[in-house]
Amino acid sequence: MSLRTHRPAFRRALVALVALPLLATAACGGSGTEDGASGEQATCEKSDGKVKLTYWSWIPGVDKAVAEWNRQNPDIQVTVKSTPTGNTGTYQNMSNALKAGNAPDLGQIEYDSLASFRLQEGLTDIASCAGVKEAQGDFVDWTWSQVTFGADGKDGVWAVPQDTGPMALFYRKDLFEKHGIAVPKTWDEYYEAAKKLKKADPKAYMTHFSQTDPNWFSGLLWQKGANMFAQEGDAWKVDVDSPAAGEVADYWQKMIDEKLVATDLQGFSPALHKAWNNGEVATWVSAAWGYSTIRDNAKATAGKWAVAPMPQWSAGENKAGNWGGSTTAVMGKSKHPYEAAQFALWLNTDPKALEILNREGGLYPAATAGLELAALKKPVDFYDGQTVFDVFADASKNVTTDWTFGPTMTDTYRFMGDGIAGALGGQGTLEDALRTADAKTVDSLEKQSLEVAK
Amino acid sequence: MSLLTDTAGAHAPRQTSKTAPRGPRDSRLSVIAATGFLVVIAVYMLLPVFWLIVAATKSQGDLVDSFGLWFSDFQLFDNLRALFAKQDGVYLPWLLNSLLYAGAGAAVGTLLSAMAGYALAKYRFRGREFLFSVVLGGVLVPATALALPLFLLFAEVDATNTFWSVFLPSIVSPFGVYLSRIFAAASVPDELLEAARIDGAGELRTFFTMSLRLMSPAMVTIFLFQFVVIWNNFLLPLVMLQDDRLYPVTLGLFTWQSQVSRDPSLQILSLTGSLVSVVPIVITFLVLQRYWKAGLAAGAVKS
Amino acid sequence: MTADPIAATASPPAQTAPAPVPARRRRNWAPVFFLLPFFVPFVLFTLVPVGYAFYQSLLKTERTGGTFGRKTTVFAGLDQYKEVLGDAEFLGSVGRVLVFGLVQIPVMLLLALVLALLLDSTVARLKRFFRIAYFVPYGIPGVIAALMWAFLYDPRLSPIVDLLDKAGSAPDFLGSSMMLWSIGNVVTWTYTGYNMLIIYAALQAVPSDIYEAARMDGASEATIAWRIKVPILRPALILTGVFSIIGTLQLFTEPQVLRSISTSVTSTYTPNLAAYSLASANNYSEAAAMSVTLALATFVLSFGFLKLTGRKAES
Repeated sequence: MSLRTHRPAFRRALVALVALPLLATAACGGSGTEDGASGEQATCEKSDGKVKLTYWSWIPGVDKAVAEWNRQNPDIQVTVKSTPTGNTGTYQNMSNALKAGNAPDLGQIEYDSLASFRLQEGLTDIASCAGVKEAQGDFVDWTWSQVTFGADGKDGVWAVPQDTGPMALFYRKDLFEKHGIAVPKTWDEYYEAAKKLKKADPKAYMTHFSQTDPNWFSGLLWQKGANMFAQEGDAWKVDVDSPAAGEVADYWQKMIDEKLVATDLQGFSPALHKAWNNGEVATWVSAAWGYSTIRDNAKATAGKWAVAPMPQWSAGENKAGNWGGSTTAVMGKSKHPYEAAQFALWLNTDPKALEILNREGGLYPAATAGLELAALKKPVDFYDGQTVFDVFADASKNVTTDWTFGPTMTDTYRFMGDGIAGALGGQGTLEDALRTADAKTVDSLEKQSLEVAK
Repeated sequence: MSLLTDTAGAHAPRQTSKTAPRGPRDSRLSVIAATGFLVVIAVYMLLPVFWLIVAATKSQGDLVDSFGLWFSDFQLFDNLRALFAKQDGVYLPWLLNSLLYAGAGAAVGTLLSAMAGYALAKYRFRGREFLFSVVLGGVLVPATALALPLFLLFAEVDATNTFWSVFLPSIVSPFGVYLSRIFAAASVPDELLEAARIDGAGELRTFFTMSLRLMSPAMVTIFLFQFVVIWNNFLLPLVMLQDDRLYPVTLGLFTWQSQVSRDPSLQILSLTGSLVSVVPIVITFLVLQRYWKAGLAAGAVKS
Repeated sequence: MTADPIAATASPPAQTAPAPVPARRRRNWAPVFFLLPFFVPFVLFTLVPVGYAFYQSLLKTERTGGTFGRKTTVFAGLDQYKEVLGDAEFLGSVGRVLVFGLVQIPVMLLLALVLALLLDSTVARLKRFFRIAYFVPYGIPGVIAALMWAFLYDPRLSPIVDLLDKAGSAPDFLGSSMMLWSIGNVVTWTYTGYNMLIIYAALQAVPSDIYEAARMDGASEATIAWRIKVPILRPALILTGVFSIIGTLQLFTEPQVLRSISTSVTSTYTPNLAAYSLASANNYSEAAAMSVTLALATFVLSFGFLKLTGRKAES
């Protein structure tokens, strides 16, 4: 629910401004030779005496959880700094601070940015810290594979999972009923439903397809099992345009060609919110945190939405994708990895902390215990009393574990976004977009001197 | 006369009567046509501003759902109250910070520029043209490009996240030096300097009591431009500052805007906040405009 | 940057001004005193960072071992520049802003000139009001300005599109054929007033007795404006021209904000966007090289423009 993960339209624009650094950012690149902690097992020992830790996060109300920790742990005092969301500047600031040597001990980092921070040698391996490896069982499976980069702890543990964005289908129950449309269980049915909707109301669209949310599209690929990246030995395998991904692309290309989806509405834009309010857009395949996005931006439609599991590629399957979510990472060069790791574990597994983070920040927890929070068992008014989080709890369990984000994900998203923009504007297809993104990603990895498996 | 104008006879004294009486040849038609044109352009310039004003009076819902160029449910005061109350009233400190960064930064920057420009115009020394060229090169460097290297510099001396980390870089204005040199060359007659020297006045005293006053119209211009540049710059503070109590208003609004999808009420608040933040700019301009006018006239020194 | 582009060509008066008073020994310290307070921060906060950026552009990252590897930064000479100059999208973005500048800059400066002349003339009324009205857009932070225009362009939100639709048909401001000019409009809106003020300030510095003679001879206001004022304003126009060229090549905020609501703006739409994209993907060295290349291009263009206008002035 914490929206930190997606990149809303305007927000993303703003992001850019942030980093205008051009020369600047540029200038600060990898300054000189750095011997980072990457790949090295950090020795994780308890520090003597009182320890002070700094933590950067953008979860609303996270300070309340931190205050609780500070009360319980007088010897490990955490100072939290509330920052702009990751892509709007905090990541950039973290990178800068890492280079300047004044990075915080702990930082909030989204799953899709973890690899990039590891590549920058900005993370500390906390595998040897007490209690970390043992915590594996406390988290939803796929989140652990994200923080261990799929190596199940053998290659280190680089962060503690915090929250997730399991995906489901938000749909306008009232419109579906009005036009006699059944809730689609498969993507084929979703397509048929889209046609039926268009026929009933020529001005309506099944959903919007946005070029500003390539990470949404990767959530769809995730569900399909169309892994974009894999590690093969010492090399990266790039498979952005796999046959499976091609199927997803072709499916949505068909939706675009038949004008069943709105192509001029960008994610999280005021125009989209207006279209939701007008009933111009009838569904949104989105993550758990999306429940508040609709609730807060389409107030006029209270009671008219419902949530169903994500449509499936084959009838009878039960697979979900994930869009967003983040981790608490011990940053590179922290002087107190032991204490920092203890805090990160507590913050994301302690029932009291989970409760605070959910209540104040709307986090959808990565800890299995968190899925049992009372607040997530209750009916939600805006969704006409539906217990929507049941759907997401199921989805969360059905997210496949062998998904890997690339180490230059910002680039990959950008290439996908450019290609998608072209396809939406009638130049090229989504399939072309994936092919180009694939080739350019290989290029971008090679520019970082990473080995690419052919 | 100056680098801005191409008149011969560099130091010809100006006449004070810029506000010449309206010529008898100004036909009613040309007055109407000219003013009409100015009005059309003013509408173009102010229409988005009007939109902003209207938007600031609306509720979040009406912002997207009602006609953008006219008022609906009038909520300006609610919005203002919410604006100044949000996050423990952080908006007012933002506004004051901006005034301090931009006001003091532009004042100091203008003075430094004036001194440097004066020296480059009025003293002959080795390397003068070279120094001036380097300054001009500096004009070509966008301020935005400097933010990150600056961050690293300040981190070296452990001074990030301080008032000075934003303030000090802001006082450098190569463009100001450029303009100062132009204006010093044009408005401070050498004869006057020579006379002052013969009277036994020191260089400093001559500068601060006489030259500075002669250069005042230029300095008002430099101040105005630099004020706006610092006011609008949010990249440097963004990179330097972590403590939101030190933020200038642009960075604060930017941060809010970046969180809109999480807290939709921030949309209307950042628009209202933008509107409020334009007010000091307008006031500054209005105030300076008086000095500016006066200064321009006064710049017409008798020599 | 050892040349003296702006002063050398744009400003004959400065060069031909009577020689500064000969220095005397007792005044030798004076220029030092006047210059140091500016130059110390200038070196620290401008030159050092610029040098650092250039240094950065000569490096590249190498890694050893594993999918993440260990990072070392090595000297790569001009390798990054080769990448940049071979990047078709970057070159395309440069071409795009050049086209943009060729159209937008003349339009904006002409408008600024006409406004300044009108405000300096005797025919206009309400000058104080107009002056401030034209300056206000410049006072609105770039992010907010672009955001406002985004609201005014968006077909679902814009009252203007609404009105135009009712009056016939509205153009698709966000379509790929219109986009460049929609951006141009935002830039024009923001900077016309600023340029007008520079030109206007220059006009104020002109002794009015120059016009008096012309008036005596029966010249109309329009004649005075075009025959006398415009030639006098030449350096001011050249100055604003150079700044506009610089600004055009640096184009960033407006396309970046509009990118969030339109499919017509790619991540490499302008050179600065391209550099930004590289930097945000941690490819700092190439981004630095791109920025340096862009700065050089800016320099060459500004300098070329000055040469061109300077030569005309002589002939």
